[in-house]
Amino acid sequence: MTIEFKDVLPIPLADYSHEPDSVWKSEFTLNFPSKILLNASSGKGKSTFINLLYGLRKDYQGEVILDGTLISTLNLDQWVDLRRQRLSVIFQDLQLFPELTVWQNLNLKNELTQHQTEEKMNEMLETLGIADKKEQSCKTLSLGQQQRVAIIRSLLQPFELLLMDEPFSHLDEKNASIALELICEETNKNQAGFILSSLGSRHGFNYDQELKL
Amino acid sequence: MLRKILFRNSTNFQFIFATIGALVGLTALCLSFQLMLDVRSFHSGEDELFGPNSVVIQKKVTKFSTLGMNSTDFTEEDIQALQNKTFITDVAPFQSADFQVAISEVKGDGLPPFYADMFFQSIPDRFMDIEVDWEWNENSEYIPIVLPKDFIMIINYGIAQSQGFNQISEELLMAARLNIHLKGETKKEIMMGRVVGFSQKISSILVPQSFLDYANAKYGSGNKVSPSRVFITIKDDSYGELEDLMEEMNLDIAKSAIDVVKIKTIIGVIIGIFGIAALLITLLSLMGFVQYSQLVLSKASYEIQTLLRIGYSVKMIVKTFILQMAIIFGAITLAAISVMLITKIAFVDTWLDKNGIHLEESSILPTIGLALLCFILFILSNYLNVRKTVRQLGKT
Repeated sequence: MTIEFKDVLPIPLADYSHEPDSVWKSEFTLNFPSKILLNASSGKGKSTFINLLYGLRKDYQGEVILDGTLISTLNLDQWVDLRRQRLSVIFQDLQLFPELTVWQNLNLKNELTQHQTEEKMNEMLETLGIADKKEQSCKTLSLGQQQRVAIIRSLLQPFELLLMDEPFSHLDEKNASIALELICEETNKNQAGFILSSLGSRHGFNYDQELKL
Repeated sequence: MLRKILFRNSTNFQFIFATIGALVGLTALCLSFQLMLDVRSFHSGEDELFGPNSVVIQKKVTKFSTLGMNSTDFTEEDIQALQNKTFITDVAPFQSADFQVAISEVKGDGLPPFYADMFFQSIPDRFMDIEVDWEWNENSEYIPIVLPKDFIMIINYGIAQSQGFNQISEELLMAARLNIHLKGETKKEIMMGRVVGFSQKISSILVPQSFLDYANAKYGSGNKVSPSRVFITIKDDSYGELEDLMEEMNLDIAKSAIDVVKIKTIIGVIIGIFGIAALLITLLSLMGFVQYSQLVLSKASYEIQTLLRIGYSVKMIVKTFILQMAIIFGAITLAAISVMLITKIAFVDTWLDKNGIHLEESSILPTIGLALLCFILFILSNYLNVRKTVRQLGKT
């Protein structure tokens, strides 16, 4: 997967000045599979960048071209297909179904994609240490636990690019690196890449590329 | 699972309210439609009161006509004008005999001796309001004659009493043969006739058209006689137009004939109003249901948005939603048809029966068809609404 950026600038950020090496207002190409860190402090537009790539924000100038197609020309059905087959995401606000149990939240995704086996899903829960919460509804979980549910959910589909918006913000370093290890494993299995946004921590990982805002 | 997520926030109260509304509306619509069908079959039956809308019209006799200054004949232009009225579906002038007619008794057939001048008229067979053997040709044994019902009343309760005759029953009159004296300008003949029936509606002495054509040709003077009475058939519910026409052409119509038309117009209007009211209730209740689904959608907007973000297509979400609505509304449609049938059989039919009105059962299939049409309309309007809303949610 190739994503080209041409002078992209979100309209709400137009009044801010940007560093010369910022992704905003510059021209560059990202090639996947590669593992990319998006490092910036608050308010620089990390979520905007992620949501823009996921088709949720359209308030920007410039062009984003995904495998030769201007993403601004994609319709809802085309985005839905992309999100089911090629793009996965972990939202900053997670976007789980609070009334459903952990298992139902995961199953809702896996029923759609048939990507993982039940054993594999159980194994992931085990790895991230929330296997005992399987039958609890998500609204009763701590934010850190919910974050881990969202991480697993993002891995229950085929993808070429995994977008992660501060996925470890509520996890300690130890749990974060366990999660990142799982993510890497699944990313490699899919021969895919990821973009991980972070407030500064590198989570002890060696990234192929680093983007600045 | 999808269904559970989408309908999680719908409360029972809204659901019950919308369901009752739709049930009442649809039942009222089905019931009024069914009644309309029943009454329509009532309309077209050969019933005395609700026969075809045929009336005899004639011009009013005024002082001037008595003085010979004003003709009561219908000219060709008059007939043409009648034919051009949209509410009149059929026009047929009465044909009159162009020769003199008299009748007398046949001795031995039970009638007292008499001799009376008469007249004959004929109308097209389709306007006959009674079923009689109305065939005549030159080889026929006798000429069938239809008398007005009032005629025998006048004889039995008027003339017979004052002149000291015996009263004559309808059966006796119909059994007796009559001598028919036909007198043209050059020829005379006596033929055999027989009364075959009595008409409520037509105050004239009628013979088959085939006979009159034959006799006019043989005994008539050859002059063309303008008709003075015309039979017209008008559409249902056109009493108002008929009244205007009477005014315009200075017409005279038997009062009872007008009453029939008037009653039919009134019944038509009442059923129409009932039907329109039922239609409005149904439309309102359907709107209520669309609103209910709109409410469910807006309460599930976060869920729908999230589903679209994790890869569920608009189609899958709409399908799940519509399937659920189809089950709910399918049950409502079935219930409405059942309630309609029960109400009709247990209450309306019994009530009408008690009041001496016997309706011919008409088929319930058109009503079921109407209910199904409502079902399809409902699903379609919901489908379009849901798809639009889901798409909008996906864009934000």
